[in-house]
Amino acid sequence: MPAPASTPAPDPLDRYSRQVRFPALGEDGQRALMNSRVTLCGCGALGTVLANHLARAGVGFIRVIDRDFIETHNLQRQILFDEQDVADNLPKAEAAARKLRKINSAIEIEAVVTDIDHTNALDLMGDADLILDGTDNFETRYLINDAAVKLGKPWIFGGVIGAEGQSMTIIPGETPCLRCVIETAPPPGMTPTCETAGVLGPAVAVIASFEAVEAIKVLAGKKEALNRDLIMVDLWDWTFRQLKISGLLGKVDCPCCKHRKFEWLEGEAGSHTTALCGRNAVQVASRRPEPLKFPEMAERLRPLGEVRHNAFMLRFAADGYEFTVFPDGRAIIKGTNDIAKAKTLYAQFVGA
Amino acid sequence: MIYLDNAATSFPKPEAVYREMDRFARTSLANPGRAGHRMAMQAEKTLDEVRHALNQFFRGESPERWAFTLNCTDALNMAIKGVVNDGDHVVITDLEHNSISRPVRALEQAGKITATRVVSRDGYVAAEDVAAAITPKTKLVAMTHASNVLGTVQPIEAIAKAVREAGPLLLVDAAQSAGVVPIDLKATPIDFLAIPGHKGLYGPTGTGALYAGPRADGVIRAWREGGTGGDSSSEFQPTLRPYFLEAGSPNVLGVAGLGKGIAWVAERGLDALREHEVGLLQQVVDWAERSEGWRVAGLWDPARHAGALSLFTPEGISPQELAGILDVSFDIAVRPGLHCAPYIHRNLGSFPDGLLRLSPSPFTTADDVATVLDALTEITAGVA
Repeated sequence: MPAPASTPAPDPLDRYSRQVRFPALGEDGQRALMNSRVTLCGCGALGTVLANHLARAGVGFIRVIDRDFIETHNLQRQILFDEQDVADNLPKAEAAARKLRKINSAIEIEAVVTDIDHTNALDLMGDADLILDGTDNFETRYLINDAAVKLGKPWIFGGVIGAEGQSMTIIPGETPCLRCVIETAPPPGMTPTCETAGVLGPAVAVIASFEAVEAIKVLAGKKEALNRDLIMVDLWDWTFRQLKISGLLGKVDCPCCKHRKFEWLEGEAGSHTTALCGRNAVQVASRRPEPLKFPEMAERLRPLGEVRHNAFMLRFAADGYEFTVFPDGRAIIKGTNDIAKAKTLYAQFVGA
Repeated sequence: MIYLDNAATSFPKPEAVYREMDRFARTSLANPGRAGHRMAMQAEKTLDEVRHALNQFFRGESPERWAFTLNCTDALNMAIKGVVNDGDHVVITDLEHNSISRPVRALEQAGKITATRVVSRDGYVAAEDVAAAITPKTKLVAMTHASNVLGTVQPIEAIAKAVREAGPLLLVDAAQSAGVVPIDLKATPIDFLAIPGHKGLYGPTGTGALYAGPRADGVIRAWREGGTGGDSSSEFQPTLRPYFLEAGSPNVLGVAGLGKGIAWVAERGLDALREHEVGLLQQVVDWAERSEGWRVAGLWDPARHAGALSLFTPEGISPQELAGILDVSFDIAVRPGLHCAPYIHRNLGSFPDGLLRLSPSPFTTADDVATVLDALTEITAGVA
């Protein structure tokens, strides 16, 4: 009997043909992408756009990490989610993974529903070729920065508020790290967040797309093409700035990449949460020396409703949670016993 | 810092406790009973000495009736799970800390036992109410000596007498009373006494003990089994006290510190220590009486009180917020909330927000308390 006629297996590169034809990437670049591993920290607005681009581009393994569940107000900008995901009360990481597997079944997606902290950061990032920032807070970014510098792995920072965004690529040893450029985070409550200042979906997509292109360059081994500046964009006023930061490398007294003091990774810096005994409340303590300025903070939070403060505390309510913030940055968040949820609320409304 | 959370664990410890732990760790920290060398024998000797000190302090039957534990919760679990059998009935009270109520509730939920919770009035449990809860099936009465929320000291002598007459075993949780209120095991028919080493006896955390009296012999099972240092050839846990209940390497360093803590308490005398703390709490009570919105929880009877007191806080500010402000703006440590004792908060009507608990120590001064009360006055004046 003749052997059954076999159809040749489709070339795995076929589906990426339009990208392979882009000469700067080419076949070697595509193969490198397919053999690469990415850890995506945070899968909200930035994260969904990043994951969407990289899954479609054929990055071989994507670990999607997020501690939150999808809510209706996420759908305005978090492009992998839909109304059914909200109805199903899915964690963002899991919903994203399901969608990404439908987009590209040839790659591997791992969903991790967890809060990234100093106890798990190295495990979650240690096997990646690149770490991507899809977070909404500086605490996690400094933790990523510590882990990336310690591991000697590249990472890409991105952040968006309103219609403004920033991004930079960090290659440890070759470029300044996040702490070389922004040594300490602004104190909690002193900076706008998406929850207080709002955010436009397309602005997020622009910054995430910048990050995604840089990611493709890193993973495809095209480091010579990388942007080494800090990019600052305002899409409403239409300003576009590139800050030359390469000169900072080795010039600033950076505690992280110069002195290799990993304060976030060692758990010395950052917040500390405790579920409080009593009614449904979590205390988030942010270890910061400088006291908060309640009048400024109250002004910033005013759009959310009534904000009351005296010398000892500032109170406001948002999304059905009650916040009591103390001058040292700690907050009691009433309405949840879930520590991860409380950390998210803290990042969203108090800011870190 | 002004530390008023001594009901959770005492701080600071007497200087002698710090010195002894440092000395012991540097010179004698071998595993007691596990070898015949001099350092192991020295460690063993420390355990024996502190066992002896505990027995003297509480006037127990004999030192080997004291088993060292990790803390008071560990001692309570050891007693409860060591004596209760399927079909038994257990009596507890609504003053219990979760360290008694949770093990009992779990056994109850598993369908193994039934339990009755005696209701307190103004923070006190009456001996006749305990006696009335006892049935022919009652194996154990497990209750606290002093409420960790209210500081009220229970009439344990009368209760012990009533329980002994009725027959069940009596387990007393002395978490808040050991080192504060006299407990005389020769005069009071208590079968099990569970104590923490790190509160009123001024040892470090990680220390505690369970006293098991003669009526427990042959009744209590070893809740934890393993190496005891001697008789290794046996396939089973040795029956010899205290090793029977003491499997695993003991916290001999902590016990060394505890020994100095007990000596410190014995030297000062329980009456003097308790009077100091109750005197400080009297300041709080007087202040609460003249301050709008503040109220002492439970009945205030200085003659029947240990060193903790809880307050209802004024409308508009929760105990958690007050504790946060005291810590952030005044460097004062107190404990808000339910204090791991949900039933008494339900009884008092302070569930689920809880109360604000103040618990001084011999190291607290009248000036410290005045500073705290001034801070509370200032904070509540600022609440619109």
